[in-house]
Amino acid sequence: MSHGITLAHGIGGAKDLPISPELAIAGAVAALTVSFTVLAIAWRNPRYDEATSGRPSPNLGALVTSTGFRVALRVFGVLVLAYAAVAAVLGKDLLTNPIFGMFYVWWWVGLVPLSLLFGPVWKAISPVRTINLAFAKLSGSDPDRGVYAYPERLGHWPAALGLFAFVWMELVYPYSTELGPVRLWCAAYLAIMLLGGALFGSTFYARADPFEVYSSLVARLSVWGWRGDRLVVRSPLANLDTVPARPGLVAVVAVLFGSTAFDSFRDSTVWVKFVQSADTSSFLLNNLALLAFCTVVGLLFALGCVLTGLGDDLRHRELPDRFAHSVVPIIVGYIVAHYLTYLVEFGQMTLILASDPLGNGSNLLGTGDWSVNYWLSYHPTLLANIKVLSVVLGHVVAVVAAHERAVQVLPKRHQLTGQLPLLFAMVAFTVGGLYLLFAA
Amino acid sequence: MRRLMAVLAVVTCTLTLATGCGGSDEPSGSTGSTHSTKTIDITVSGDSVTPNGDRVEVATGQPIELVVKADAAGEIHVHSTPEQEFEYGPGTTTLKLEPIEEPGVVDVESHTLDVTIVQLEVR
Repeated sequence: MSHGITLAHGIGGAKDLPISPELAIAGAVAALTVSFTVLAIAWRNPRYDEATSGRPSPNLGALVTSTGFRVALRVFGVLVLAYAAVAAVLGKDLLTNPIFGMFYVWWWVGLVPLSLLFGPVWKAISPVRTINLAFAKLSGSDPDRGVYAYPERLGHWPAALGLFAFVWMELVYPYSTELGPVRLWCAAYLAIMLLGGALFGSTFYARADPFEVYSSLVARLSVWGWRGDRLVVRSPLANLDTVPARPGLVAVVAVLFGSTAFDSFRDSTVWVKFVQSADTSSFLLNNLALLAFCTVVGLLFALGCVLTGLGDDLRHRELPDRFAHSVVPIIVGYIVAHYLTYLVEFGQMTLILASDPLGNGSNLLGTGDWSVNYWLSYHPTLLANIKVLSVVLGHVVAVVAAHERAVQVLPKRHQLTGQLPLLFAMVAFTVGGLYLLFAA
Repeated sequence: MRRLMAVLAVVTCTLTLATGCGGSDEPSGSTGSTHSTKTIDITVSGDSVTPNGDRVEVATGQPIELVVKADAAGEIHVHSTPEQEFEYGPGTTTLKLEPIEEPGVVDVESHTLDVTIVQLEVR
């Protein structure tokens, strides 16, 4: 039964209209022009330095580091988890169970705007961090330290794998809106996170928790940063430059961008017709396509990074992770374009459904009799403009971020030519994204 | 100075884009009630359905009819907001959809065969 209503991104009815070709072309032209303008006239010496950038904000800093504030956020995170757990364990296996919206909309999509506005939100509310903290308190040990030191070479690879597991569940797994699989996914996530925390301490969460890695990465595009233990307000560009280059960062951004692009692509007539007329199972084809999208994005980006001359201080294979932070704005721009209506409309729907987690007609939150505001869907031209603007804006920030990194790490004589391949890769991502918004 | 030029360049491009957007403004929310009925012929035989995932443009509020020729009974789901579900028997059945007022892409699926029959582009 529920499979029939399985659509769009796990749940959902109508989807956005495609953008007009004129708009897609205007966006692509703007992206191209900006790219080469930045290359031609931008600064030639590094501008951003983590040690000096940003204005300290002592009052706000005192507030956010205060025990009361931190505990309040942790309690909030645990309460939401408990509420979701009740719906997941005791609720009905119907699409009216709010767990699906909490899982696919609030958690996966909602985390992006929250992190963009307020900084590393998941780190602050993550219930797995809270449980790890509580265990450490009870046993009198240090929550930051586990039995072993986290292996540096592992970097963000486990997070990339976790993110892939989520998008696979959302976009490929045929029973993504049945209660059993969602419950199992969450249980596995909790178990792995708690085990990892016990083994490696809370470093594990910063490196391997897919949601914390995603949220904290997007948070680098916010204005909130840290200089040592002082809260500073920085320009998003300066803040983005402080992303630590760890192994596997490229895989993280490749999964995030590749999967979102695949989500657009799989609704296109071309793919729908192909899958439905093929003799091979659609499950296998979707699996292969998701993997192919992520792999191609990763390889294209890596290729764009390594095609440059280098000095003696760096090796080519270090470059992709050094530059990977610069794709984050492209991802965020495309996520806005792809998920805006979905977040606004299904986010509201989830809030309404959340008032009755057990499906017995109760109205616990008092939101049960609200109705969803579909204003955004009724203004398709405005929506299309917002989409293209956010994609182009993301591209501009990405190109500037990559330029700054090139100026920092490439030797003078390779700075201009060394950036070109990456610039082409980024233009390819942006134009490809716009094409998918137009064609799907 | 360079910073200023960069800002200028960005502003210029954004403006170019904005005018691009302005030009492509189309009249939305057309008067649906004056439209004639959109009829979509669907043939189901065994495991195959025609059309097979094609896009069909309809106006907001336009009456839509699905004429289903089938060799066996089945069920069709229309993923509009709110969702619509229809059952049909063997032979020819005409299904009248509730007009769709909200712009967007709406999938019409064969629930029985688990395939997308058409995607309605409602604009």
